[in-house]
Amino acid sequence: MAASVAPPRVEGTPALEARQVVRDLGDEVKTRILHGIDLTVAAGEFVSLTGPSGSGKSTLLYLLGALDRPTSGEVFVDGIATAKLSTAERDALRGERLGFVFQFHFLLPEFTAVENVMIPLLHRRDVRQADAHAQALAVLATLEMREFANRRPNQLSGGQQQRVSIARAIVHRPKILFADEPTGNLDSKAGLAVMEIFEKFVRDDAMTIVMVTHESSYAARAQREVKMLDGKIAEILVPTHKAA
Amino acid sequence: MKAELFIAARQLWHRKMLNGISVLGVMLGVLMLIAITGIMRGMQTRFLGTILEVSPHIVVYDQTLATPRTVVDTLLGGISVTHVSRQASSDRQQQFARPRETLAAIRTLDGVTAVAPLVVGSAVMSVGSKELPVEMRGIEPMVQDIVTPMRAWIVRGSLTDLNAAGDGVMVGQQLADLLGVTIGDNVTCASARGVPVSMRVVVLFSSGITALDKGRVYVASRLAQTILGRGDAIDRIEIRLANPDDAPAITARIEALFGYDGESWQTTNASMLSVFVQQNLITGLMIGAVLMVGGFGILSIQIMIVVEKRRDIALLKSVGYSSRNVLTIFLVEGIVVAVVGAILGSIGGHFLLLGMRQIKSVSGMGFNKPSTFAIYEAPIVYVLAFVFSISVGLLAGFVPAWRASRVEPVDVLRGS
Repeated sequence: MAASVAPPRVEGTPALEARQVVRDLGDEVKTRILHGIDLTVAAGEFVSLTGPSGSGKSTLLYLLGALDRPTSGEVFVDGIATAKLSTAERDALRGERLGFVFQFHFLLPEFTAVENVMIPLLHRRDVRQADAHAQALAVLATLEMREFANRRPNQLSGGQQQRVSIARAIVHRPKILFADEPTGNLDSKAGLAVMEIFEKFVRDDAMTIVMVTHESSYAARAQREVKMLDGKIAEILVPTHKAA
Repeated sequence: MKAELFIAARQLWHRKMLNGISVLGVMLGVLMLIAITGIMRGMQTRFLGTILEVSPHIVVYDQTLATPRTVVDTLLGGISVTHVSRQASSDRQQQFARPRETLAAIRTLDGVTAVAPLVVGSAVMSVGSKELPVEMRGIEPMVQDIVTPMRAWIVRGSLTDLNAAGDGVMVGQQLADLLGVTIGDNVTCASARGVPVSMRVVVLFSSGITALDKGRVYVASRLAQTILGRGDAIDRIEIRLANPDDAPAITARIEALFGYDGESWQTTNASMLSVFVQQNLITGLMIGAVLMVGGFGILSIQIMIVVEKRRDIALLKSVGYSSRNVLTIFLVEGIVVAVVGAILGSIGGHFLLLGMRQIKSVSGMGFNKPSTFAIYEAPIVYVLAFVFSISVGLLAGFVPAWRASRVEPVDVLRGS
C-alpha cells in the first residue's frame, strides 16, 4: 500500500467538502475534538476514516452528514453549505440526499424488516405507502434479504440486521452514504459481505461513501483512507491497487 | 401524517401493557365524570322537576312594594311624608286592590300560561278528639290544576268532586291516616278568626312530599275565606309560565307594573339552588382531579417511553424526520390513549348508569316515594368527556412529545 498525503484531483462539484472545520464539545469546559479539518470527497468516491478511539473520525462523519454543526468552519454537502442551515433544512437534506448505516443497526424493534426499510420513504409526501412497501421489498431483494422481509429485527442474525439497515439507508436513493463502523459488530464473513455491497454501490450506482472503520483491511478497500489522530488528519492513503 | 400515524400506532401496540395503564387512568376519569354527573344532575333535575311541577313559577303576594306618592307628597316636591304605624294582622284587608282585574291583567302578559288566586291560612282540623294543625289553601281547583298540576297526586276522588262540592276538602293521604278519615267522612276545620265549618273529605292525595301530604288541605276558595275570616280577599296569585327560566324577568315586570311583591321559584328555592352550585363545584373538582391523575399517567408513561426510545428517535431524525414529525408521533400517541380511554370510559359509564337505574332508592330532601335513582344522561356529557380527555391527552402528551422532538441525534449517536 502506498501512502499519499496530497488529496486527489477533484473533478466537478465535490460530494463533500470540509473547510477549516473545528468542533468543540462540552458546555463549561470545552474540549476541542476537531482542529481545523480540510477534506474534499469527490462524487462517487469511497473514502474510509480511520484512527484510534477519540481521534475525531465519528465526529467528522456526523459533521459531514449534517447530523451536527461545526463550532467554526464550513461543511458543504453536494455543494450546499450546511453550517448555517436550520434544523429543519438539515433534516430535509438528510432525508433527500444522505443515507446512514450505524454499527448498532438501530432497527426499530416493533417493525418488520420491510417496514424498517420503508421508514425513510414514509414521511415523504410524494410516496404512497404501497409504493414505499414495493420499493423496500425491491431493495431487500438486491441485498438478498427478500425472504426475511417480514421478520422482526430480533428474528434476524447480526449480519442480516446490518443488511436491513443498509437497505434502509439506500431505499431513498441517497447520493452519499455514511457508515459508522458498519462491520464493528459482525463476524468476518458478514463484514466482508457488507464491504462487497458498498463496493457495488460505488461501482454500479456511483454512490459516494464515507465509512468510519477500525478494520485496516476494510479501510484499504476504499479509494482513499483518511487517517486521523488527535482531531487532525494525520495522512491520507491511497491503496496501491486503487492508485493504479 | 401517514408516517406519524403508522409509527405511533405500531409503538402503541408494541407497548400494550404500559399504554393500557394510561388508557385505564383516562377511562376511570371519564367513567367517574359520566357516573357522577349522571347521578348528581339526575338528582338535581328530578328535584327541580318536582319543584317546578308542584310549585308555581311565580307567586305574587298581597304586599305592596312602596307607598304610592300622595297628593301631599306631590305638593311638597322632594320632601317625602311617610306614615309610620304598626299594622296588626287583623288590619290586613284585601291588599290586592282589584284582585280580579289584577289577575286578568297578569294573564295577558307574555310568557304567562295560567294564573290562579289563592287564599292561604292556618287552621286546625279535627275529627272527634283528634286535632291537627294544617295549612289551608283556598283554590279554584280547575285553574289551580293548570298552575300547579295536582291531578297526578290524587289517590281517590277527583278535582271535579272538589270543584262541585260546596263543603268538600282535599286531604293528604298521610294526614287522613293520622286523623283516621277517608273519602266521605266529615271533618271540622276552624281558625282563630273565622267560622268553624264541617266539611266532607272528597279527595285524597299523595304528592310524594311529606310536608304536603301530612300538613296541607285544599278547599274551594270561598270556603277558605269563610273558615279563615278573610271576607272576599285573596292572599296570593300563583302563576305558571311557558318557560320557567323566564321567572325572574317576568317577576320584575309584574312588580314594576302592579307594585306587588313577587317571588320567582328561583328566589323561593335559592338556598337549594346554591347547594346545587356547590355540589356541582365539588363534583367538577373531583372529576378534574381524577382526569388529572389520568393525565399524569399518560405523562409519566410517555416520558418513560421517550427516554427508552431516544435511540429510535435519533434514527428517525438521521433519516430525515423533522422535530415536528417526532412531536406529532408522540402527540398522536397521547391523543390515541386519551381517545381510547374516553371511549372505554363512556361505554363503562353508560352501563354503570344503566345499572344504577335499576337500583331502588328513597330520595331524600322531603320526597317519600320510593323510586329508582334519578339518572341524567345526555349526549353533551359524553361530548364533554371526550373534550376533557382529549385535552388532558394533548396536555399530558405534549411535554414528552416536545422532549422527544428536542432529541439531537448526534448526542444519542455519540453516547451509543
